[in-house]
Amino acid sequence: MQSANMLLKKIIRSSVLPFAAQHGMKKDLFPLSRTLSLSLCLKQDNSCKPSEKIDLDAWKKVMKSGLQEVVSETVSDRKALSALAAAREMLEMWRLAGRSVPENISEEQLKTFMECPSKSSQKKYLKYLYLKEIYKKNDQKKMDEKRERRLETQERASETDESKKTSFICLWANCMDRAYSWRVAQSMIFGQPLVFDMSYEKDMSVREVANTVRQIVLSEGCNRRSVDPFHIHFCNLKDDSLYHKEFIKHYRQAWGKLLITVTDQCYTEVFPKDKLIYLTADSPKVMKTFDHDKIYIVGSMVDKSIKTGVSLARAKRLGLETAALPLDKYLLWNAGAKNLTLDQMMHILLTLKDTGDWKKALEFVPKRKYCGFVNKPVHELKKTLNLINMLKLGKRQEEVRKQFVKNYSKKLTEK
Amino acid sequence: IQPPEKPLQDEEWNRLREKFKSPEIFEKVMFNSMVRCNSPIDVAKSLLTHVAKSNGDVAYNLLVKYLALCVQQGQTSEIRDVYDIMKTRFRILESGAYNLIIRGLSNSDQWRMALTLLEEVKKIMIPSRTNYESCIKAASRHQEMNLAFELYHEMLAKDFIPTLDVLQALFDFSRGMKGAQLQKELFGILLYLRENQIYPHKTFMRSIKLWFESIPGGNWRGHLTNIKDSGQCPVCNHQLEDSDLTEEEYNNLRERIIRDVIHGTDTFRKTSPQEFEAFQTFVENRLPFDIVIDGLNVSHIKPRKMQCENLFDAVNCLAKENARLLVLGRKHMLINSSNWKREIMKEMQNKADFFFAENISEDDAFLLYATLRSGKHCKFVTRDFLRDHKACLSDSLTRHLFRKWQRGHQISKKRVLSVFFQQPAFRYDCVVQTTGDTWHIPYKDIFEEKYSYQVPRKWLCIQQKQ
Repeated sequence: MQSANMLLKKIIRSSVLPFAAQHGMKKDLFPLSRTLSLSLCLKQDNSCKPSEKIDLDAWKKVMKSGLQEVVSETVSDRKALSALAAAREMLEMWRLAGRSVPENISEEQLKTFMECPSKSSQKKYLKYLYLKEIYKKNDQKKMDEKRERRLETQERASETDESKKTSFICLWANCMDRAYSWRVAQSMIFGQPLVFDMSYEKDMSVREVANTVRQIVLSEGCNRRSVDPFHIHFCNLKDDSLYHKEFIKHYRQAWGKLLITVTDQCYTEVFPKDKLIYLTADSPKVMKTFDHDKIYIVGSMVDKSIKTGVSLARAKRLGLETAALPLDKYLLWNAGAKNLTLDQMMHILLTLKDTGDWKKALEFVPKRKYCGFVNKPVHELKKTLNLINMLKLGKRQEEVRKQFVKNYSKKLTEK
Repeated sequence: IQPPEKPLQDEEWNRLREKFKSPEIFEKVMFNSMVRCNSPIDVAKSLLTHVAKSNGDVAYNLLVKYLALCVQQGQTSEIRDVYDIMKTRFRILESGAYNLIIRGLSNSDQWRMALTLLEEVKKIMIPSRTNYESCIKAASRHQEMNLAFELYHEMLAKDFIPTLDVLQALFDFSRGMKGAQLQKELFGILLYLRENQIYPHKTFMRSIKLWFESIPGGNWRGHLTNIKDSGQCPVCNHQLEDSDLTEEEYNNLRERIIRDVIHGTDTFRKTSPQEFEAFQTFVENRLPFDIVIDGLNVSHIKPRKMQCENLFDAVNCLAKENARLLVLGRKHMLINSSNWKREIMKEMQNKADFFFAENISEDDAFLLYATLRSGKHCKFVTRDFLRDHKACLSDSLTRHLFRKWQRGHQISKKRVLSVFFQQPAFRYDCVVQTTGDTWHIPYKDIFEEKYSYQVPRKWLCIQQKQ
């Protein structure tokens, strides 16, 4: 019996230690030595009373034991905490408590965090960083998987090693780039100008500016790849502005080699005023056709806090003609604001330029924002909508819909 | 998942965990449901013991959840134990744990400990409002009113808006206590309500009444009443303050409207400088108006009728007694169309002054300007709540002024009758007010829904009998 007991003890001893070390605690919180001491006392606890009544406060003993060493250290350390370090520690505690807080945070981000004016803005910022971190991690994971797969296929390919004979050397990307550049260079001489108005820096937060630049980079990309590109102008772009800094962050060295025109002048100084049309969702005028002789201006602005009339005010001040996309005329609008992202605008304008087909162009409006295209006269649509609602919904809701459709058709007839 | 009713052995916990679909988060989910079901504390303990035994450690988030359970059940000694453990185990605690501990301890006889914890929190961060409120309640519950008010002022200094709950506690626990200082503090709270246009609810009002009546030697008597439309209190016959702004407030409001609402960040957003100037000279030449009408808003009152007919009715109805009218509209109203008949428009222009803004300008801003420029007697007609314009004002003080002025000067149609009721029946101002030996406090019934644009109709009248 005794020997059996001894054996059991041995097993416990040998099994508990690696188990605790493995599962136990984060390395940075707990030095390894403490883990050992903890589990030792735990094991004694375990062996002296094998399952009769549960000792409910055993966890306290576990938590308290082996902590004496740390106590002295914490007291001396607390005084030396700088504000930044304290904030960092606070974040760590929040993370432990299960809030959405990023694991790693840079000095700069920590400073932005501390400059947040309110608790809710702090929370929002942390969540933003947290999600960013998660996306980054997932991307990294996918990349790694991809690399592995590629290596595998390469190995297999090298095993068989059949060099196919083709008349072209595989230089796709490079060639394409050159072809695209040639086209854009052509458009810089002969093409239709498209202006991005970079004068909204004051109306935006830092993050909104970053988003704007991202959207412009995307639209520049799709312009470059199109059959007949625009000649893009960045007007009102000052050196050392936030826009400029963000552009350099995105393009790096390529910023100097981009085939676009960048100027700190206003578009009214570059182009004749009567040729300019400012595109803004607030405009009372609706665009009917795409005019190849006009110069369209797009405001480079992302407004998360819906500031109505900012770009319309700009155009009014300069006395420019304005226009809005005929979204209501062609789409049965569902939800969301009528202002589109800059890359969506670019897609739409490019398609219009090439085909003049509104339906094709407005395919680039996000699907969630509209129910479908308006293909029949409005009164017929109204009838079917009413019928559907009558079948689907209660009477009260039907009334609401009726009102909606009525307003809708009114809006259409007004324009 | 349903938490067990009795403490479990390790094996039993293991079995439960294996049955659970995602074992990694088993403890977390289990603790959450324990808090939700208010499980016996022993069950939680046994789970903690199980976790401690198998991992050699208990994660911070589990400790916090356990703490939440202890606070929920008022287990003071456990709260202290957990706090001690956390304190030795971690260098600092985060706000959630502090919130729980302070709340838990302030409800117990160890409430002084909550105060020391509050001091501790102050060292590492700004304490939350609930931290302060727990401590204030604890202090006032033990009749340490000086301490409670000290904390209260500290909280106000940090720009926290106190909940009515804590204010009520201050009144409740001061009942029957003597002291001029204390009285001054509580009057201070009432003035705070006045300044911020906060209305107490029924139970809070009752606390105020009881406190007044309990002041030793004060001879205060409270009555519930409804104030007459004339602004006279039926109980003490006292005339309430009128709703007019003072000269200074009025000028201040006018300037802020021009600066924040009409100009804002860019004058071109709502109008244009030329147009605004033209409007200003137009108004200056024809001052003062008695009623300013938002033409487009009024023209939509009855959807069945033609829009210009609606406006015509309104103008006719208001044009009595030689009142000088100004109608604001947009240029598109001048174009002969199915809704806007030229002859009717012509006829109306004989009865009232018209100003037509550009079609893309905002006429509401002009409405506010014209009314404020005409003077205190001038009223305006619109069904719009003007919330977006109020939101343009940058500080809360001016927004309060705007609301007060709006209450006194906006006419909106009440029923579908073609008669305009003077909706601001209030010739008196609906805020907490005092004359020294009387207090009048508007309150809201809890059951009665109150929108921000409505003001309560019920009052508490308190007067001191000599």
